Amino acid sequence: MEKNRTKRIWIFTSLIMAMGLLALYSASCQNVRVPQKVFWDQLAMAILGLVLMYVIGRIDYRRFYDIAYIFYGINILLLLIVLIGGRHALGARRWLQVGPLSFQPSELTKLSVILLLGRYYANRQSNLTFGFINRTQIIFRDILLPFMLTTILMFLIFKQPDLGTALLLFGIFLVICFAHGTAYRYFIGFIILCVSFIPIGWRFLKPYQKDRLLVFLNPNIDPLGAGYTIIQSKIAIGSGRLLGKGWLAGTQNQLNFLPERHTDFIFSVIGEEWGLIGTCFLVCLYFLLIHNGLKIALKIKDKFGVLVTVGIVSILTLQVVINIGMVIGLFPVVGLTLPLVSYGRSSFLVFIIMMGFLINLSKKRTVL
Amino acid sequence: MRLQIIRVVIIILFIVILGDLFYVQIFKGNLYYRLSTNNRIRVVPLEGWRGRIKDRNGMVLADNTISYDVVVTPQDIADFDQVFQYISDVLGKNKEKLIKRYRQRKSAPFAPVAVAENIPRAKAIIIEENKYRFPSMMIQKGFKRLYPYGKDSAHVLGFVGKVNLSDRERFQEYGYSPLHVVGKLGAEEYYNSFLKGSEGGIQVEVNSRGQQVRLLSYKAPQKGQDISLTIDVKLQQLLTSLLDSRPGAIVIMDKANGEILGMVSSPAYDPNTRTTKDPRSPFLNRVIQGLYPPGSVFKILVAIAALDKEKITKHTTFICNGYHEVGNRHFRCTHVHGPQNMFEAIGHSCNVYFYRIGLILGADIIGQYAHLFGLGQVTHIDLPYEKSGYVPYRNRGILSRRKRWYAGDTLNYSIGQGDLLTTPLQLLHVMATVANEGRILQPHVLKSVMDHDVEDFNFSRELKISSEIFDAVKQGMRATVKEFSGTAHELHLSDIRVSGKTGTAQTSGNKEDHAWFVGYTSGRGRDIVFCVFLEHGGSSHNANLIAREMLIRMKTMKLL
Repeated sequence: MEKNRTKRIWIFTSLIMAMGLLALYSASCQNVRVPQKVFWDQLAMAILGLVLMYVIGRIDYRRFYDIAYIFYGINILLLLIVLIGGRHALGARRWLQVGPLSFQPSELTKLSVILLLGRYYANRQSNLTFGFINRTQIIFRDILLPFMLTTILMFLIFKQPDLGTALLLFGIFLVICFAHGTAYRYFIGFIILCVSFIPIGWRFLKPYQKDRLLVFLNPNIDPLGAGYTIIQSKIAIGSGRLLGKGWLAGTQNQLNFLPERHTDFIFSVIGEEWGLIGTCFLVCLYFLLIHNGLKIALKIKDKFGVLVTVGIVSILTLQVVINIGMVIGLFPVVGLTLPLVSYGRSSFLVFIIMMGFLINLSKKRTVL
Repeated sequence: MRLQIIRVVIIILFIVILGDLFYVQIFKGNLYYRLSTNNRIRVVPLEGWRGRIKDRNGMVLADNTISYDVVVTPQDIADFDQVFQYISDVLGKNKEKLIKRYRQRKSAPFAPVAVAENIPRAKAIIIEENKYRFPSMMIQKGFKRLYPYGKDSAHVLGFVGKVNLSDRERFQEYGYSPLHVVGKLGAEEYYNSFLKGSEGGIQVEVNSRGQQVRLLSYKAPQKGQDISLTIDVKLQQLLTSLLDSRPGAIVIMDKANGEILGMVSSPAYDPNTRTTKDPRSPFLNRVIQGLYPPGSVFKILVAIAALDKEKITKHTTFICNGYHEVGNRHFRCTHVHGPQNMFEAIGHSCNVYFYRIGLILGADIIGQYAHLFGLGQVTHIDLPYEKSGYVPYRNRGILSRRKRWYAGDTLNYSIGQGDLLTTPLQLLHVMATVANEGRILQPHVLKSVMDHDVEDFNFSRELKISSEIFDAVKQGMRATVKEFSGTAHELHLSDIRVSGKTGTAQTSGNKEDHAWFVGYTSGRGRDIVFCVFLEHGGSSHNANLIAREMLIRMKTMKLL
């Protein structure tokens, strides 16, 4: 059974990566706006990634439990360095340059926040065991303290600015907090409180972020500016219809109508060239992968393992749903990649590590 | 338990995503597919050659010649400044103007933009030879309309030009863009749909920057249809020389079928250049657009009205003692004619006679007959922008101008003065109806399309007026020419039988009177109806002289 799960994760992950590589080849084969190097780069990353997955799959995951807090601390440090001296690109400071390599510490936060919250909540025992304990203490320990720890990361990322990832971290926090077993009344109360802060948060957004959100509400506000990407990607996906225009034959893609088509908008290339068949196939692969993750979580008896699995599953779900949603105009453009498909070394690497965790966790049957 | 909730939420999220993909790709799929096609396909129109216009004998009046245009293809421009500097050096034209024109006309990166049109052949060769230095620049052969006979038939033909801003909306419905050439004025405009070639084009695939990626298809443009007009270029030349750029108009129509044989309005413009500084409205086609009081020519209609209403007989006699008194005003006649019956009154153009029958008829009946013969309405000749003129009514005067109608107005009305306004073509039309004894023809200038005769104009309708009445009036008009005392005795020619009516229409201000002669010939050969009009030409005698010269020359040229 466990062997089966492990095998499935291998299969689904490789299939998703293969589809991504095919789409990336199509997006870059003209070598016009997207350089061909992107494809070879990703191919190398994929091969490297499979090796890495295998390696991580063999490490005892409790090692990660041990380093969770240290990892968190290092991540904060990296984010601070990025804010002070990171590389500028596309109007944001997200990259850290180390020699010829550059990577985004903000992608690493996805990992560190999962490990952090996993370890934190794993140490929190069920409230009943404490006997006399007042309500404020529960709220503080179950919600506010972990939220503050997450907020430090969120704030540093938001400063870059990267609204998408910051909100994603918040989402992960909510899911893990929920999975931990926080009382419904506190959990829902917390969410209501957060929602009531949205109007205040609006004032802290950069003008372009406000634009994106407004354009999301009505893309025709600015069809040549901020709305252009959404309109063109919707046209691309829609025009694929059932069977698609064929690999390397998508006109929106090949004629450069799609901006950012190798990163955030890679899904529109798949939609245009492979049609509904292709998009459904990919979405189903993601779903099966996620479902497998949940099945693993149900089997694990160790709370850290459960929470880490839930965290990985939730991050996958959120990014897949938000990315596809923004490409078809269901969500605002927030700049989240399509896991294992979009080009981008840091993001790709982080998801590879997560898949390694899943493989690792699928093997374990720890009884505490 | 909590994990189950998370699982359900995840399943719902995926269902939403799949549902939306289904909606976008299947329900809206065809819409987006069309949008993606529109995104990438552009059409560059290619204009077809325009059909030629010929006269009734096949002489070409409007032709096409090749013009050499310098075009620049935006996407191939390497050094913008150098290209335009070079073109301006070769052509000796202002560089800024060339650049401005380029900016105005630029439509797509792959579509060549004409920056200079119709350049001399020698310069075209120089530019073509230096193409290797500036790949974006080349010579394109366009067409240019040529009118070999210049101003002789300018008003009948019209000219061609680019669709201008004011016409843009009108032409847009027919799929014209501002760069299309369309006919303007005359037959070029009226028969534009025949003349214009069917448009061809190239279909290209473009990328997001609008640059051409490949050629998808090519449709060759088709040449337009040739049309032949009823006019005769030799007659046009004759009429032009007769008028000798004095303001005026001559129009000649075949009495049998309504074909316009000649139509000249003067002064005219040269349709090839269209540059004229003549202040006397050279672009106005006086034949169909000039509005003038008909003067005594109108008396024919008053006579017909009086006879048809049986107010008088053709033998009824009135005495002319030089004036007619209404109230305390004297309305003058040209002479003291003494007793006048209908034939004499028409022949002498006696005002007093017509004052008397005008008063008997009243203004309303006169207006009614003016309408019956087509005054105040367009003749529907196949030329654009024809004017309808103005036929006054008592009520209309009161309503529109807040002016009362006096008996004196009726007097003026009955001799064709006052507010009454007609075009030369309308008077010709009236004369043709009288000459044909009530048979109304449709005047027209189109003879055939691609050598197939047009039969659309071969219809006529009859007025319900007795031919005896027309006989009487025609006798009077014959007397005008034949009798020594007639007002147009100059036209009494040995070999042509001419009848007609003169008119000397007073104009406001101190300007000279308008001179009219409207008449027809009857005899063995081709019968014509003609109208000679001189704007501020003085006495009708001047019109008579031109008519005389015209008829004699037409006879020698065997046009009659």
